[in-house]
Amino acid sequence: MMEILLEITVMPLIAFVIGLFMVLMMRRIAAKIQRRVGPPLLQPLYDIIKLYGKQTQNSHGLLHDIGIVMAVGGYIAAETMVPVPGMNGIADKSGLLALAYVTMIPSLGLALGVGQCANPNGSIGIARALTAMLAYDVPFVLIIFGVAYAYGSNNLVDMIAAQQAGGIATWGAVKMPLLAIAGLFSLYAMLGKQPFEIYVAPAEIATGPMVEMGGKYLGGLFVMQCFQLFTATAIYVSIFLGGGENWLTFIVKLFAVVAIPMSLAFVFPRYRTEDVLAVVWRWPVLISLAGIWLVMH
Amino acid sequence: MSELNTIPVVAEETERPSGGSGNLLARVFDELTAFARSRSMFMLHYCTGCGAIELPPAMTSRFDMERLGIQPMVTPRQADILLVTGYVSTKTMKRIILTYEQMNSPKYVIGICSCTVNGGMYWQSYATAKKLNDYLPVDMYIAGCMPRPEAVIHGLRELMANVKSGKANSWKDYYQRYDHYLANQQRAFGENWQTPTDVIAEARHYGLFGPETLGEHTALLEKHQVPLQPLEMRLGLNEEKAR
Repeated sequence: MMEILLEITVMPLIAFVIGLFMVLMMRRIAAKIQRRVGPPLLQPLYDIIKLYGKQTQNSHGLLHDIGIVMAVGGYIAAETMVPVPGMNGIADKSGLLALAYVTMIPSLGLALGVGQCANPNGSIGIARALTAMLAYDVPFVLIIFGVAYAYGSNNLVDMIAAQQAGGIATWGAVKMPLLAIAGLFSLYAMLGKQPFEIYVAPAEIATGPMVEMGGKYLGGLFVMQCFQLFTATAIYVSIFLGGGENWLTFIVKLFAVVAIPMSLAFVFPRYRTEDVLAVVWRWPVLISLAGIWLVMH
Repeated sequence: MSELNTIPVVAEETERPSGGSGNLLARVFDELTAFARSRSMFMLHYCTGCGAIELPPAMTSRFDMERLGIQPMVTPRQADILLVTGYVSTKTMKRIILTYEQMNSPKYVIGICSCTVNGGMYWQSYATAKKLNDYLPVDMYIAGCMPRPEAVIHGLRELMANVKSGKANSWKDYYQRYDHYLANQQRAFGENWQTPTDVIAEARHYGLFGPETLGEHTALLEKHQVPLQPLEMRLGLNEEKAR
């Protein structure tokens, strides 16, 4: 019992630290593509400390406060269900479906909070964010169905154990390549980077949901972004790349996975909302349906 | 670059206890926050004039502000620095003040180009606000017509040094001498000028009240002040027509 308590305290902290470095990597990749130097090593941490150190805050009401708590809290709950090397937390008691459910809470919390800000840009942004969620969750659920069918389990711990017992030949990415490709596509849309950044759109709707967030509210969202990057990639690594045998391979895999969408992101302009739906409901859904067909035969 | 001490900023050191005494942990935490503040600045550029053209090279690959932790942000709520780049007409000044008051403290104002320092080549214009620091507390002026990106980055670095050492406190000046700034604002915009942000209430709430926060001009403001009302939601224009 004490062990589980310790694990569910430590796991979000680890996720946060890894997430900070993922944010840094994202900004460094952008800088390299644009032939810049890029931010220093601890820049994401400075940003968060600075935002929490603001001396005046603008609250728009109770739901605004609660929305941020839900946004961060949803991901903290998700971290306790994502197994990392040596720690399972409550992952063996929950499944991928529970995880998919919990990772929706932040978007909904944000919708609540932004709603109270009464800023039209925020409302447009959150409408787009929920539309994007609708878009990428359809292939995500199909992929969950496919891998759960293939592994005979809905549980991340079982999947990792099955992949690690058989070596690279039994990795999800080798056994179910179509599902892995669809998963990467869905992950890309989930991270909300360019072409899919319809709900941030700085030059268009002034960062959408974040438009009224300043100080600790924006700080909360920066923390949420760290968690989001970690959660999405850790789920992908656990399903398709055999999880982590030890910390070294786990972190290498995580950063390799997150580098793929990041490297593609900064050379693309932005889709329109209907184009996101069209693209995400067409290609990853078709590929994952084909993948499911392959898995079943 | 103008010297900081020529800018009439009289904010008092309110919270920094002198070294030696005080809680060690709190002091370390304050130092950490000040350092993080100086290394992470989100910049809202209010590009009014020609100085705006010097910002893209300062931000992009040639001079790359992001290596100093400075990056552009798009809304006043998220920003730390308000960069005013060029001449400010009376009408523009209203928007700049609205923007400034929406930002979260600590906030810093930088005036770029000669026009913000003394009106520059618009000195004889009737429609231009000459000195930016009559209306807003300015932390740093970067003079020049226009200053090159090197000068902009040099100015930002000086601001970073001031923030780190706790000298960039002019945002407190706006609360502590609100009457002075409001006097100039009322002179320019008329005496029924008001903004959605209640600066006096904020000063009271955050303990930033100074002897010159209230005065005859804030009394005038209170006389004319109309309480803020939520915008009326009106759907169904046809319904009204039908009546």
